[in-house]
Amino acid sequence: MTADRRVLLRVSGLSKTFTGTKALDDVSLEVAAGEILAIVGQNGSGKSTLVKLLAGLHQPDPGSVIEVSDGTGNLVPLGRDGRGLHFIHQDLGLLPTLNTTENLDLGRALGRRWITPVRWPAEHARASEVTARFGAAIDVRAPVALLSPAERAIVAIARALDGWEHPDSVLVLDEPTTAFHRDEVARLFDAVRRVAAEGAGVIFISHRLEEVRALADRVVVLRDGRQVAEAVAGEFDDHDLVTAIVGASVDEGRRSPGGPGPVMLALDELAGPLLHDVSLNVRAGEIVGVSGVLGSGREELNGLLFGAQRPARGRIALAGEPLPPGDMAAAIEAGVAFVPADRHRLGAVMTMSVRENLTLPDLGSVRGRFGAIRLEAESAEARHWAAQVELRPAEPDRPLSEFSGGNQQKVVLAKWLRTKPRLLLLDEPTQGVDVGAKAAIYQLVRQAAADGSAVLVASSDAKELAALCDRVLLIDQGRVTGELAGPALTEAALVHAALATAAPASAAIRPGSGEVPA
Amino acid sequence: MMTTAATEHNATSGGEGAGRAQGRLGARLRQSMSVGNASAVYLFALLFALFALWEPGTFLTLQNWQVLLDNQAVSGLVAIGLIAPLSAGVVDLAVGSEAGFGGIVVAWLLADHGVPIPLAIGISLIAGALVGVVMATLIARARIPSLITTLAVSSILIAVIDWISGSEQILNLGASFQDIGTDEFLGVTYPVYLLAVVSLIVWYFLERTAVGRRLRATGANLEAARLAGVRTSQMILIATVSCGVIAALAGVLASAQLATGDPTISQSYLLPAFAAAFLGSTQFHRGRFNVAGTLAAVLVLAVGVKGLQLAGAPIWLPDLFNGVALLAAVGFAQYQKSPTARTAAIRRVLRLRAGDRTANP
Repeated sequence: MTADRRVLLRVSGLSKTFTGTKALDDVSLEVAAGEILAIVGQNGSGKSTLVKLLAGLHQPDPGSVIEVSDGTGNLVPLGRDGRGLHFIHQDLGLLPTLNTTENLDLGRALGRRWITPVRWPAEHARASEVTARFGAAIDVRAPVALLSPAERAIVAIARALDGWEHPDSVLVLDEPTTAFHRDEVARLFDAVRRVAAEGAGVIFISHRLEEVRALADRVVVLRDGRQVAEAVAGEFDDHDLVTAIVGASVDEGRRSPGGPGPVMLALDELAGPLLHDVSLNVRAGEIVGVSGVLGSGREELNGLLFGAQRPARGRIALAGEPLPPGDMAAAIEAGVAFVPADRHRLGAVMTMSVRENLTLPDLGSVRGRFGAIRLEAESAEARHWAAQVELRPAEPDRPLSEFSGGNQQKVVLAKWLRTKPRLLLLDEPTQGVDVGAKAAIYQLVRQAAADGSAVLVASSDAKELAALCDRVLLIDQGRVTGELAGPALTEAALVHAALATAAPASAAIRPGSGEVPA
Repeated sequence: MMTTAATEHNATSGGEGAGRAQGRLGARLRQSMSVGNASAVYLFALLFALFALWEPGTFLTLQNWQVLLDNQAVSGLVAIGLIAPLSAGVVDLAVGSEAGFGGIVVAWLLADHGVPIPLAIGISLIAGALVGVVMATLIARARIPSLITTLAVSSILIAVIDWISGSEQILNLGASFQDIGTDEFLGVTYPVYLLAVVSLIVWYFLERTAVGRRLRATGANLEAARLAGVRTSQMILIATVSCGVIAALAGVLASAQLATGDPTISQSYLLPAFAAAFLGSTQFHRGRFNVAGTLAAVLVLAVGVKGLQLAGAPIWLPDLFNGVALLAAVGFAQYQKSPTARTAAIRRVLRLRAGDRTANP
């Protein structure tokens, strides 16, 4: 590097230990003025821990050093106030019903002006000026909910940098392009380059290889909390990067034994808000993975099949019988089971007991005369399933909220396995689950497949898909773009496929449709 | 909650066979009658002792208790009617107006139209059910929050009540109608027996049937219940319709007791019902609306008000007492539900002590 390189942020020996496991292990990096540093890695690689440490949300282990420029060229330890660092998180932190001017004003101190009337024309003019610095002509009077994702991101950047103390700041962008179109990405990158050109440093956290190539001056790769590679732009190729991200060891996984049975699920040109004309077959006994980045439609498929959302078009057939669209009770009746990703909000009733949660989807089986629940039979069922999934503690009468995440998820899975589903739909089945429970959940899913269920797993965890599935469908921009099976189905191949996906083309998706409907 | 687990755990590991079963039962009984879980029972005892010493001449008479039960039958019914909607997550602020509506409809049919008594009562109950259907439609189909729906419906019902009655009392309901409200069997009036029967039905429905379980799941987490195949709109419908019918029945009994269709009674039932239901939710089944707790709460509130009245307290006292009781009940429930750092520390100490007690049976 050149001699006049001015370092704005220096991190050395940064570690973070969570109850015995190292989430981040001895990471050292530097960001200089005008430089854009990309940080890449899989889920659980330590990316988000790094961001949280920089933001001061976690306390680093002793011996870690984070220094920022004080504006005069000297490096000083990062203070509690976080001066010198600005963050743009994935959700941007804007208030959608307020307009750009109001959002920009929110962070500013009012001082003695708290009672004097706001001079709106002047405020709007100032807001236009600030956003224009980043090359965006934004209607500052419109609620930010009506802006495009890139415009919103620019407003967030403008707010973060508006009135910064000195130009020696570092902007941290945490996967900002998740819900973007291709041309929107270009606009945001243009704004980010302007930020760097003004002399700031930028840390750019991403999972898209293409974006890293387009934007970064340098790349740091994290894996299992460690810094495994660092490269200057132009000195790395895709293959090296993927190898660094995934690691040398390739997980063989364990496929479900025996040949698959007859076709259980048949989709014919199914379409929803994000998905377009998805046609596929899943056989009984088969575990099929669904892979794709957030916003690709991966997270939508299971909800459509279960009837939680009404498909725009297309037909769903279960064992040859058509499934009525948008009718969950009918789907359950037909033998469909759905484990949603959001356990607390959607997966279970946390205030009710394990027993009550277990029997809720199929109370008919424990119902006696006059619609009464046969409590003895229900308790026996609850004990049986608690033993089956090794519930700890094995007290099914306790409220579900008192159990650990892993045990809660096992209960959610058990309540559906109890219905002997013909089609088992799983969304992020091991999210927020400890390692032991993860293995148990995989075992339960494999057993369900061996018992003749067709299983569909939508997951953002490449390792999980590689270990669990017989084949994995790759979804990009709402369409099935490929399939990995047999020896080709490896964690590395899945990561490569995800990294290689382009941002959605503008024709495919309306602005703002990246957000997943509840 | 944690005490439950600790106690039961100790009880189960304490011994085997019969001893174990006995220990478990004892522990469960101790647990369910602990001060934290059955405070209304202890409060009742305390109030009873207090007023028995203060005003023995009036408080301890049989007549006093007959009047008290008689007076509380109607407001008790309204409170019991409120349990199903609250369990299903519907905050029914129209419950008082629904009672007033039932009371005025029956009086209007009897006095102004000469409809036979059974038919008049039947029509009133059906009217109450229809109000429930309208509310469920607005909440589940039009997706208007229950708070807004029931507040608006309440206002509309009050308007209808005034329109039907001309804002005047409806008299001349006939002696045999009044008998329903005032006749006695074994020294207790009919409305008290009706309260007992309705309470039993609601208890069975909510605690023992599959539909009741689904209804409570709907109230605890609507989305999760929906994704578990519960038809949540139906559950809301069942809750509001049953509430409409029970409230209308309460109104009919009120008119019978007063021998008058009084258009102004609505508001006097709303707050006591909420106070009883919420105070009841802190009893026996912690944090869950339940029939036994609600009945205990009705009794405690009534004894409190009655005792103070006998001791010469002013006329506005019941309103004050009910308001304070509602705040205290919900505040207590929140304290039980969400431990802050401070309350968690207090509870750790309490649990340690509870552990000491149960560790050596």
